[in-house]
Amino acid sequence: MKLSRKILIGSSLVIIVALMLVTINLTGKKKHGDVVLVTHDSFVMSKELIADFDKTTGYTLKLLKAGDAGALTNRLILTKSAPIGDAVFGIDNTFAGVATSNGIIDGTLKPTDFGDVCFNYDKTWFTKKKFAFPSSISELVLPKYKGLTVIENPNTSSTGLSFLAATVDVFGSAKWENYWKALKKNQVKVDNGWEAAYYTDFSGSSGKGAYPIVLSYASSPADEVRADGQSQTASILDGCFRQTEYAGVLKNAKNPDGAAAVVKYLLSSKFQQSFPEAMYMYPIVAGTPIPAKWSQFTEVAPHTYGDKLDFNANRKSWLAKWSAIFE
Amino acid sequence: MLFYWPLGKILSIGFAGDWLTRITTHRIAATLWFTIWQAALSAAICLLFGIPGAYILYHRRFRGQKFIRSLITVPFMLPTIVVAIGFTAFKKLPLISSLFFGHTNTPIIICANVFMNYSLVVRIVGGVWTTLDSGIEDAAALDGAGRFRTLISVTLPQLAQSVASAGALIFLYCAANFGLVLVLGGAATRTIETEIYVATTQYLDLPKAAALVLIQTVLTIIAFLGAQRLSKGPVGFFASTSLEPKVRVDKRDAPAVFITTLFIGGLIILPLCAVLFKSFQTGSGFSMSNYANLGGYGARDVLSISVGQATINTLRNAIITTILSIGIGVVASYLLSRKRPERSSRFVQHGMDIFFQMPVGVSSVVLGFGYLISFNSGLFPLRSSWLVTPLAQSLLCIPLVIRMVYPAINAIDNELRESAQTESASPSQIWWLIEAPIIRGAILTATGYAAIIAIGEFGAANFLAYGDQGTLPTVLYQLISRPGAQNYGMAMASSALLIVVALLIVYSVQVFERKNTV
Repeated sequence: MKLSRKILIGSSLVIIVALMLVTINLTGKKKHGDVVLVTHDSFVMSKELIADFDKTTGYTLKLLKAGDAGALTNRLILTKSAPIGDAVFGIDNTFAGVATSNGIIDGTLKPTDFGDVCFNYDKTWFTKKKFAFPSSISELVLPKYKGLTVIENPNTSSTGLSFLAATVDVFGSAKWENYWKALKKNQVKVDNGWEAAYYTDFSGSSGKGAYPIVLSYASSPADEVRADGQSQTASILDGCFRQTEYAGVLKNAKNPDGAAAVVKYLLSSKFQQSFPEAMYMYPIVAGTPIPAKWSQFTEVAPHTYGDKLDFNANRKSWLAKWSAIFE
Repeated sequence: MLFYWPLGKILSIGFAGDWLTRITTHRIAATLWFTIWQAALSAAICLLFGIPGAYILYHRRFRGQKFIRSLITVPFMLPTIVVAIGFTAFKKLPLISSLFFGHTNTPIIICANVFMNYSLVVRIVGGVWTTLDSGIEDAAALDGAGRFRTLISVTLPQLAQSVASAGALIFLYCAANFGLVLVLGGAATRTIETEIYVATTQYLDLPKAAALVLIQTVLTIIAFLGAQRLSKGPVGFFASTSLEPKVRVDKRDAPAVFITTLFIGGLIILPLCAVLFKSFQTGSGFSMSNYANLGGYGARDVLSISVGQATINTLRNAIITTILSIGIGVVASYLLSRKRPERSSRFVQHGMDIFFQMPVGVSSVVLGFGYLISFNSGLFPLRSSWLVTPLAQSLLCIPLVIRMVYPAINAIDNELRESAQTESASPSQIWWLIEAPIIRGAILTATGYAAIIAIGEFGAANFLAYGDQGTLPTVLYQLISRPGAQNYGMAMASSALLIVVALLIVYSVQVFERKNTV
């Protein structure tokens, strides 16, 4: 009896100690040249660019996707004492304040690219039905556009949050809720994320959905060019929000030098040129060449709304008010 | 250490702030109410359809019965995320989509719940049904009682306990069906578990998440204690089949046959087939291209690792989880089973019992959240190691292992042990030569359970395994939540593969069992 208990206790101790050793060993192990870039889910970097980075800097780049801009920022905050990577890309201006006030960035966040969040409409659909497409966001609440619009939930999508901020700016703090009540009455569809709205519910893209108006980007029409050389979609350049994305070195990074090299590379002309095709965003560095398709089918919004608002102070109350209307 | 520290951390965060005002909002009350009623309704529907099913599949016999039994067990074994994916396909079937109006997500969630848990009722109730003494029924029949009357007045009362315990168990599972609600629910349909996830990852509102954890834990512990109290022994993986020959299905069984056929056809086979069908469908007709895409990273490189790599991660985690939970679970059961005559140590034993059983009441989402906030730094920077996922998963498995192995050890005849002792066998000899072989069956079953839980576990992995450590369920979730024909097709193809594998495993186990008993 005694002996067997000793064996049991001994063996369980061995298991526990072995586990600890393995854990410590594994956490300590990290190749010196590895550098981990944490990004949002929509980040795309071609194999050629990754190889180019590895060759020119001598580091080995590893990518780690951590959800949309909000989930990404929050995960980095939750894990800031032992960060999941060395550098970050994809924190946007709606979350930059949260990131810096929580001290997850070593140094400053550097802007890398921007895009205008605007409504797109399906030109083919409106031509077939023979009625006029909307030209401003105020028209979306008109009865003739009932049940035609799909947007993203600002609670779960940075695109959705961008538009919410734009409406606060356009209609003012007293009236923006009325606009949303009218939108809801006009049967706007709310999806969780941009990809569901654009690729599944929008009629003008690959999903061939049921909604001819979608909350997307001013640059999206460049991606819907059909065989006849024309884009099937166009943007409504009213009530747009300018979304800027940032990159930075994470505090407590295991490889801060590698992280700095990554951030530098994201701002290099090679990478900047890849933004339009890979991520549908405009490069931030002035003078970077833009694809011909882009200059033909996309426009930068003449005036943008909401990007100067204080997100840190207002996010919670905006979202609570929005949720009270929609849920 | 691995369980109580994270829990303590959650509690300290939860009670630190103005937790009471945070949880007494209308929104949380509505969420709690939804969590409860959807689970209760799902359990009720399972019972309604499951009892006729138990009758047909365990109390009668017919050709192909074994196969049908295996088939209905498959949904229970599938990772919840695969079930969720299956029901996104099911929802799109022409007839079904018009039936559910497409306005609310609740019916489809309940269908998915029923799909997963139907076999529990059939197995638990059926298992008891086979052991009932058919003499009483025959006597009632001789006295002129119709079959239906016999059922109501003689059979059902004897089954009541198993029915209630199956119901409580299903309620417990449905109250913690995180993956299903996350995928099928959208933003509008929430349970306590999805709220914990959203509060953590979207709002970074840790006090609110911690407060929700408390609510969820209380809920699951109540449901667990209910299930525990109602069921005498642990629920077996496969119900035991008695050797007594059963009556063949005849004409008078028609209503039960009809209900069961309709149910299994509509809510078990149809969703499974929908997945198989969709897995071959691509943007332009039918092909194997979804399967070919599995080696890649999805459209727009949505994945950090391929499905194949995720499978390797999952298997690695499952092996470690199984070894750990069986090792610790068996040792713990052994310690628990040692008889201690003194009062003080009986108290110790009772305490140990509770100590080891506690993790059952804690859902995987809660555990994942606790690990995320506890093991960041300090003594155990566990979170940054891949071991964190299998460790969290082992904690979910250990109580189940104990619940299966402990009764088996207890059932060993003490006289056997004592006679061995008088023959001067050493304790280790007794263990290896007498006890271990007897409880081998229980350990094997527990191993199967642990492996299945580890493979399908999503709630904790979603918090802890990301990047190149993603598991099959987390990768599938990424695919299904990022629309596009290619990603959707890949999710369907991997789900279809898992369904086929699960069916093969369950069927071969049943065949194997039959060979053993004959």
